[in-house]
Amino acid sequence: MSTTEKHYPQPQSDRDNEIFLAGWRQGRLMLQSCGDCDHTFFYPRPLCPHCWSSALSWKPALGNGEIVSFSLIHRPNHPSFFDEVPIVLAEIRIPEGVTFLGRVVGAAANSIGIGTSVRLVSATEAQNYPLPTFEVNTA
Amino acid sequence: MALSTEVGIIGYGQSIYLKRTDRTLFSFFAEVTRSALASTNVSKQEIDGLAVCSFELPPDNAVTLAEQFGMSVSWAYLGTAGGAGPVASVINAVRAIEAGHARTVLCLAGDNYDVAGHYRLMDNFNRALKNYATPHGFGGANGLFGIVQRKHMETYGTRREQLGQIAVGQRASAVLNDNALLRAPLTLEEYMNARVIADPLRLYDCVLPCSGAEAVIVGPIDRARDKAVRILSGFERHNHPPGEPAPLRGGWELFRDALYREAGHGPHDMDFVQAYDDYPIMVAIQLEDLGFCKKGAVGSFLERHDFAWNGTLPLNTGGGQLSCGQSGAGGGMIGLVEAVRQLRGEAGARQVPKANRGLVSGYGMVGYGHGLSTSSVILERVA
Repeated sequence: MSTTEKHYPQPQSDRDNEIFLAGWRQGRLMLQSCGDCDHTFFYPRPLCPHCWSSALSWKPALGNGEIVSFSLIHRPNHPSFFDEVPIVLAEIRIPEGVTFLGRVVGAAANSIGIGTSVRLVSATEAQNYPLPTFEVNTA
Repeated sequence: MALSTEVGIIGYGQSIYLKRTDRTLFSFFAEVTRSALASTNVSKQEIDGLAVCSFELPPDNAVTLAEQFGMSVSWAYLGTAGGAGPVASVINAVRAIEAGHARTVLCLAGDNYDVAGHYRLMDNFNRALKNYATPHGFGGANGLFGIVQRKHMETYGTRREQLGQIAVGQRASAVLNDNALLRAPLTLEEYMNARVIADPLRLYDCVLPCSGAEAVIVGPIDRARDKAVRILSGFERHNHPPGEPAPLRGGWELFRDALYREAGHGPHDMDFVQAYDDYPIMVAIQLEDLGFCKKGAVGSFLERHDFAWNGTLPLNTGGGQLSCGQSGAGGGMIGLVEAVRQLRGEAGARQVPKANRGLVSGYGMVGYGHGLSTSSVILERVA
């Protein structure tokens, strides 16, 4: 890894997402759930997008998921990614019932396909990336 | 409620497209405003409504643009629907005129930026993208629509050589458009083998960001007589379906039936289609959602058709954004302007024979994963 976290564009921390961002600094994917309608959702919001309840709570995701689709980006948006191409950007479905965009890293990233099983990178490696990042689940 | 039959599009204008320029955004709006007035017999004093769609306009807005142009207006509209905004602005202008807020509305769309400017724009496009996509190195819109295309290919068996029919057909029309930035003929082989941008997307799947602007004037049809274009029906829908980062459908599927019912014509009555072409895959999804073929069947539909101006389904007959370039939000009006030009019989060498009626579709405002906004109108020549 030739580029460290501080060079990547960073998410802006605010009252709605600070628990999510702090969680990732410890390698956890924190998700919001609604106490009224039981939906879990991503990205962080100040209200449940399903029922507009404010009875929200946070819990960590199990950390595994499956690739729904992906692109291999040869021309990233920001120069800090230029020496890491192709960037693997995937739509990832997790058992908590949420799909979201995540980066997949590691040597096996170029051999992924739809349906490939992925898991969060280790808490140590999480320090390198601004947002929850995945690797191919070889277990 | 159906749209008024007394109100239509009575003028249009289009600027030159430039890859790089030191011209201001206002200068492009000035160019298309003058050209739109010249296309009709409406005077500056008659314009009492202003709508504008532009990503680079802030910190300015519709009202400060009115100040720049010395206009006193009773209705001002700032588009928020990205590439779906300009078509939506025309629908809203008709409604505003029906309600008595204005009599004659100038609708503008455009931007001045380049490739680097486009990436800067996308990195900060909205809070969700900025916080949850930009830090991944998401590659701007290309990275997102690569996900959509791969999913469509995997789900329905759609192939790149089928999608290539769109880019190749449109380029055949662009060859006859002096204003297109890309107007050398394009073969399917060149499309297939182009440089990879965001696999499965390659170079000719992507638009070239450029500077430029478009305009239409919405007003009383009797002011333009035989040069007027009627708006038979028009709808917009935003954030459908909610909560999916990469859906293979959009808001068109919700208003499609009403769009054709109000127009009194179905998809096969269209003499041409101007569909929002940020990527061929989104044109394909529009063709499905707007009923030209069944969901998932667009691959074989694309194989059966020739999309050039003189083909079996004339599509984006000026070359579209894929050949002309994408002047930011102006890309959402390029199809509208081309449709008006065709319906007035003013498309020159690429004039579609017997162009009486056509569909124009908008798409845009990329949120967390895909374009949130959709809009469509069906237009018909008056004379």
